[in-house]
Amino acid sequence: MPAHAEAAVLAPVPGGPTAIDLKERVRNTASDQFMPYLLGAAAIFSGLVVTLLVFFVVQKAWPVFHAEGLRFITAGGWDTQLEDAWNGSAFFGVRALIAGSVFSTLGALLVSFVLGLGCAIFLAELAPAWLRRPFETIVQLLAGIPSVVFGLVGLMVVVTFIADRMVPGNSGDVVTEIPIGGACLLAAIVVLTFMILPFFVTVATDSLRAVPRSYVDGGLALGMTRWRTIMRIQLPTAAPGLIAGLVLAAARGIGEAIAISMVAGAIAFVPNLAHGPLYMFLEPIRSMASAIVENGGEAMDVPSIAAALFGLATLLLAFSITLSMIARWAFGLFSRRMGVVSDRNL
Amino acid sequence: MSGTRPPVSAIRKGVPVSDTFMTADPHDTFSLLEGMLSSSAPRVRDGVAPAVFEIRALDVSYGSKRVLHDVSLELPEKRITAFIGPSGCGKSTALRCLNRMNDEIPSFHSRGKIMLAGQDIRGKGLDLTALRRAVGMVFQQPNPFPMSVYDNIALAVGEHEGRIARSTLDGIVEQALRQASLWDEVKDGLKGSALALSGGQQQRLCIARALAVKPAVIMLDEPCASLDPISTARIEELLLELSTDYSIVIVTHNMAQAKRISDKVAFFLMGRLVEMGDALQVFEAPARSETAEYISGSFG
Amino acid sequence: MGSITKQGNRRIGSSIGIALCWAASIAVAAVCLFIIGYLVFQGWHAINWHFLSTDPVASLSEESAGGVRTPMVGTAILVLFSIVLILPVAIGAAVYLAEYMDERWWITRIVRIGLETLASVPSVVFGMFGLAVFTLGFFKFLSSSGTEGGSMAFGRSFLVASIVMGVHILPFVIKVAEEAIRSIPKSLRQGALALGMTKWRTIRKVVLPAAAPGIATAVVLGMGLAAGDTAIVWLTLGGTMTMASDAWWKFSNWLPVLRGAGSTLTTFIYFNSPAGDGNSPGAAFGAALVLIVLVLVLNLTAQLLFRRGSKAGS
Repeated sequence: MPAHAEAAVLAPVPGGPTAIDLKERVRNTASDQFMPYLLGAAAIFSGLVVTLLVFFVVQKAWPVFHAEGLRFITAGGWDTQLEDAWNGSAFFGVRALIAGSVFSTLGALLVSFVLGLGCAIFLAELAPAWLRRPFETIVQLLAGIPSVVFGLVGLMVVVTFIADRMVPGNSGDVVTEIPIGGACLLAAIVVLTFMILPFFVTVATDSLRAVPRSYVDGGLALGMTRWRTIMRIQLPTAAPGLIAGLVLAAARGIGEAIAISMVAGAIAFVPNLAHGPLYMFLEPIRSMASAIVENGGEAMDVPSIAAALFGLATLLLAFSITLSMIARWAFGLFSRRMGVVSDRNL
Repeated sequence: MSGTRPPVSAIRKGVPVSDTFMTADPHDTFSLLEGMLSSSAPRVRDGVAPAVFEIRALDVSYGSKRVLHDVSLELPEKRITAFIGPSGCGKSTALRCLNRMNDEIPSFHSRGKIMLAGQDIRGKGLDLTALRRAVGMVFQQPNPFPMSVYDNIALAVGEHEGRIARSTLDGIVEQALRQASLWDEVKDGLKGSALALSGGQQQRLCIARALAVKPAVIMLDEPCASLDPISTARIEELLLELSTDYSIVIVTHNMAQAKRISDKVAFFLMGRLVEMGDALQVFEAPARSETAEYISGSFG
Repeated sequence: MGSITKQGNRRIGSSIGIALCWAASIAVAAVCLFIIGYLVFQGWHAINWHFLSTDPVASLSEESAGGVRTPMVGTAILVLFSIVLILPVAIGAAVYLAEYMDERWWITRIVRIGLETLASVPSVVFGMFGLAVFTLGFFKFLSSSGTEGGSMAFGRSFLVASIVMGVHILPFVIKVAEEAIRSIPKSLRQGALALGMTKWRTIRKVVLPAAAPGIATAVVLGMGLAAGDTAIVWLTLGGTMTMASDAWWKFSNWLPVLRGAGSTLTTFIYFNSPAGDGNSPGAAFGAALVLIVLVLVLNLTAQLLFRRGSKAGS
């Protein structure tokens, strides 16, 4: 057996190996020691800041929930209550606001689903290679347009169009409660559609692309046309991802304040089907989010109004957290199906 | 000696080869390849070398999966030792134990002793940085940092030497590149991106980087697996040169390569060390039947 | 033969389907381009040097309504401050999530759910959160009360708005930065470790420099988000036309300005649109054009950086 290694054998050679001394040395490991803790603190703080948010908002909303309980949600009459609050009354019912948020978001979801699905299929399957990148850029741009710009353009284009072309002259006779102008539910839906569309399109495109090629090839080999493989194979497989995209778009829609405030008429009115389908869409609405932003100025000095606004904020939190959980569940379902995680949120 | 080709047998005898051989003269390259392709006898080097690494009864598992069983061997100093064996036999795992790279894997457990210069590297109180300086590693896929050629080497040196004068650093970089026989090809482009080099050049850069911190042992895990035959030949040439100053351990799938350059061979099979000995003896007269079967290509 | 006709119908159905998809995409692209084009068309004649360099003046007639300089400065202050405040936390968290955090720990799930939830919160709610927290007496130092701008209760200022905006963009910046760090191949880290570098040194000297383009993308995206938001600004900054000090560029004035109220391009547009109280749509369009140019530039920069990053890494 060769002799055991001698220290002399490993003595430094000029230009060659250094002597080996493996005893632990005190190095400048200060940063190595505390950096992970510092970074960890940043990560944990970021993860927990949402609880701070919930706490403070709910705490400020407590007075109105404590005083009214569920009637906060079920009662109507927000606009008059707001006026009365300046005189000391302190009752608020936000039913109309909830209706405004829900109706506008649902409408926008519907249209955005149809349009967005077409765009997603286009991007994932139909677009020629040279067109893909530009169109993706356009979708990204649409996502980046500030909401106030959507509101401004919506106001000048959509609202005036509706006022000029769609509102019948005798509207005052049919809908007696409030004046009908261009600012209405329909305008809100149109504007909101294009605001939430990019969120749905990016997720839907990723989901469609994640469907394994082998499934599609199997369909083609059986003689199915390209379109039918998309409809019959890819869409159903990608369905959980599509749902997640819809939910994310919905969250975006529910939370939109500025654009709705600008184009939807700022009147807390529940669109009334009894007036006929046309008028239902021509009636103005107000959403939870837009109500907050419209009254977030001087009105905050009145404690009862402030509490009511925080109450609205709490409702919005509840909506968005629920939607976020649903989206998470849907993504989980999707990735388990695919073995692939694709959770690009904008 | 410009223009004359040294005899191919000189490579096998471990005689240092002159610089002129490293030119891109197609004749030289061809004769190099010729030497490789013709049946070659394993190296014979004189003298008995002391052991630089001693491994005693090493057991390794990942979680509940046992990967190495009771491995004991000694790595000779300033020689080339090859670990051979079929896929999954544990040779790469054994290699990675020597610089404790396996520690990065959460489910890794090991037992036994690994002695380097009289110290158990698995024990407490070990300076991991010093260990990894003394035992350098080159990976299967070249992995230069996305920086300039100069910075690739300077970064590693800076970690260990701390602040040194620019001129000293320049000297170290040049020497390392010369040792890796890369200097002539990059000396005018030291600031260029390392990623712009060819595969073979990148791998030699990784070797230069490992050399720059002045290790005692250099380990290579299938370093030529992703390279073409010409680059492979150059790196084998390089290793032969380096083995006069450094102890070299190479994991290889390529038995012809093992035959060409190694002094000692360790044959692993299913996590056990089946046979270890001089290259000449293992290849021409293996003591174990499994070794003979593997060498003759019956499996693996 | 029945089956061939059926196939013919299928073909037609296919073509209709494909045509519809094309139509949808063209429609969406048209809307996007229309919005930008309409802004350019409407805002173009409002843009001149006078517009960009004078401060807005409250007045009834549009003629002497001044320019848009204060809101522009306001946007710049807000965007820069929110990024500066949030950057160390965001990168620190991203590094920790990508390099140190194990996906099996329970705390990892909590952090990830927390970040996802934070990302889903509408910006109005952030604004209300700002009002809930920063009106507490403890935070009085962050804002001045009773500025010349009008009825600004304390609790509103650039500082407050920047902090709230920072929290709003935090999850997005973390997400993009984390992806950038994760995309650095493992082989680079292994190479550095094998050379004897410690984990933190590897991160600092090898991983972070390599991930720099991706992290820059994250920053630019965050800036775009901060520039385009209105609700948070409206609630936490107000919509005053003037800032605490006219000579905002003087260093000695910086703290009062930051502690004071003001406006940004977004609140300016909101205020001056036909739906707001200001009612000078010409100025609103001019400001909208400036804003959209800013956002487009940031957006395109982010995309360029992103592509440069993914090329360099391979």
